[in-house]
Amino acid sequence: MSPEWKSQLEENHLRPPRALPPVPSAAQDDILLNRPKKKKPRPKHTLVSTSLDGLVQAAVHKPPKGSEPPTEEPIEHPEAPVQRRYKKKRQSLELETSFTQKKVSSPSSLQNENGVDVEPTEEAVIQKPRKKTKKTRPSELQYANELGVEDEDIITDEQNSPEQQSVFTAPTGISQPVGKVFVEKSRRFQAADRSELIKTTENIDVSMDMKPSWTTRDVALSVHRAFRMIGLFSHGFLAGCAVWNIVVIYVLAGDQLSNLSNLLQQYKTLAYPFQSLLYLLLALSTISAFDRIDFAKTSVAIRSFLALDPTALASFLYFTALTLSLSQQMTSDRIHLYTPSSANGSLWAAGIEEQILQPWIVVNLVVAILVGLSWLFLSYRPGMDLSEGMKEKIVLKYHEIFYNDFINLLL
Amino acid sequence: MLQTSNYSLVLSLQFLLLSYDLFVNSFSELLRMAPVIQLVLFIIQDIAILFNIIIIFLMFFNTFVFQAGLVNLLFHKFKGTIILTAVYFALSISLHVWVMNLRWKTSNRFVWTDGLQTLFVFQRLAAVLYCYFYKRTAVRLGDPRFYQDSLWLRKEFLQVQR
Repeated sequence: MSPEWKSQLEENHLRPPRALPPVPSAAQDDILLNRPKKKKPRPKHTLVSTSLDGLVQAAVHKPPKGSEPPTEEPIEHPEAPVQRRYKKKRQSLELETSFTQKKVSSPSSLQNENGVDVEPTEEAVIQKPRKKTKKTRPSELQYANELGVEDEDIITDEQNSPEQQSVFTAPTGISQPVGKVFVEKSRRFQAADRSELIKTTENIDVSMDMKPSWTTRDVALSVHRAFRMIGLFSHGFLAGCAVWNIVVIYVLAGDQLSNLSNLLQQYKTLAYPFQSLLYLLLALSTISAFDRIDFAKTSVAIRSFLALDPTALASFLYFTALTLSLSQQMTSDRIHLYTPSSANGSLWAAGIEEQILQPWIVVNLVVAILVGLSWLFLSYRPGMDLSEGMKEKIVLKYHEIFYNDFINLLL
Repeated sequence: MLQTSNYSLVLSLQFLLLSYDLFVNSFSELLRMAPVIQLVLFIIQDIAILFNIIIIFLMFFNTFVFQAGLVNLLFHKFKGTIILTAVYFALSISLHVWVMNLRWKTSNRFVWTDGLQTLFVFQRLAAVLYCYFYKRTAVRLGDPRFYQDSLWLRKEFLQVQR
């Protein structure tokens, strides 16, 4: 076959593929990578372009012929190899820059090597790959767009400059965005693939977007609410415990506290553990009650106390109960170490039992009353009781109110 | 800016130390089978208080308010916590020293005097207040406003300048 006939044949075969639908990117990539090797078998593909693959490859390899303008006379064809040589030369020169080095992998390099000319066909040839990339790699293009560069602005073929230009003229500087991003790494700008770079930044963006969903304020609020729940539990538990304790004491002491030695015998193992438990619950309840009236703002706390606000009263009662309970630590320890007065080194001399136990029982009674009252006061205030009415509306309203309070509190 | 994960971690550490403190305050009297047990509990408790002080100060240093130079503003806002923590630390150490001194020879004997009882009451009351103020401060320091420039901060800055 003469080259003229071949090229004409190819042209005829190749024209239709240009308008072909987009090809899967994998196939395209393969072709791109293997392109140099397939230069020789090219005619075969173009001739047997019935299958999709064949068509694709034909479409890819067509450009070498595209360098020969379709309108040109067959006489001009012999010039084609010369032009190709020029192009190769130019490319080898450009390969020295990092910019062109990486071009090989990009779809644009295809056109460059194809040597698309200024001829009317150029536009069609340029547009086709663009279509391809748009359809086959939409995600990448999307990323690329996010870097603020229009795809149309990217130079897809630097070889666009007319072939007629002298090889020796310096390349006319075309200041246009390219498909690469130059990232400064260790004081050098290195070309990086835009899509990859954007992918990494995209990941970071995603993680950044996740943050606002759970801020430190939310953590603080949730902790606050959790403690509120603990406090709510301890209020009730403490009230129940104190009442149970005073009932047990009175039952053991008998009528008119006549059987105090029995009380000491029975209660001595219980006294200290209960004292410890009482302190723990009182501490929790006091802290919780202080939280509710915002005790740290003394003026507000005093004002609400003077206004006989139930919560303020409750926290005051809790604090009093705590003090009273702590003041009985010594007596509790004495009960804990109880031995009959007959025993050697007994702390309990005969006859002092009632003298010691009387105030202790009274204090315990007062503590129980205070604690019970506090619990009543706290549960009196509506909106504070989460155990009742767990209806969403109430809870939401409560949360809203609480959140606003919290914000005001902070400022 | 304070990271949520970091803040959660710090907050949980603070709450862990606070709960340990509360636990020892409640049950140390029961755990006196051997004096060494109480000694170890007390030492860890004091170290926990110290750790909490260090953590809260590190949190202060991390705020934008502090880095902007408004140390006074920060200390004024949280002076209750700072003073109470210091007082509680002093009370704890003195009570621990006193109790251990009395109980070192025989752990299970009656050691109470009026002085010890008074110190005990004050220490335990201070513990409750410390717990409340410390918890409040730790939760408040989670407010993002402390970690960024804001109108509120500028107003405060102007007030300080006056």
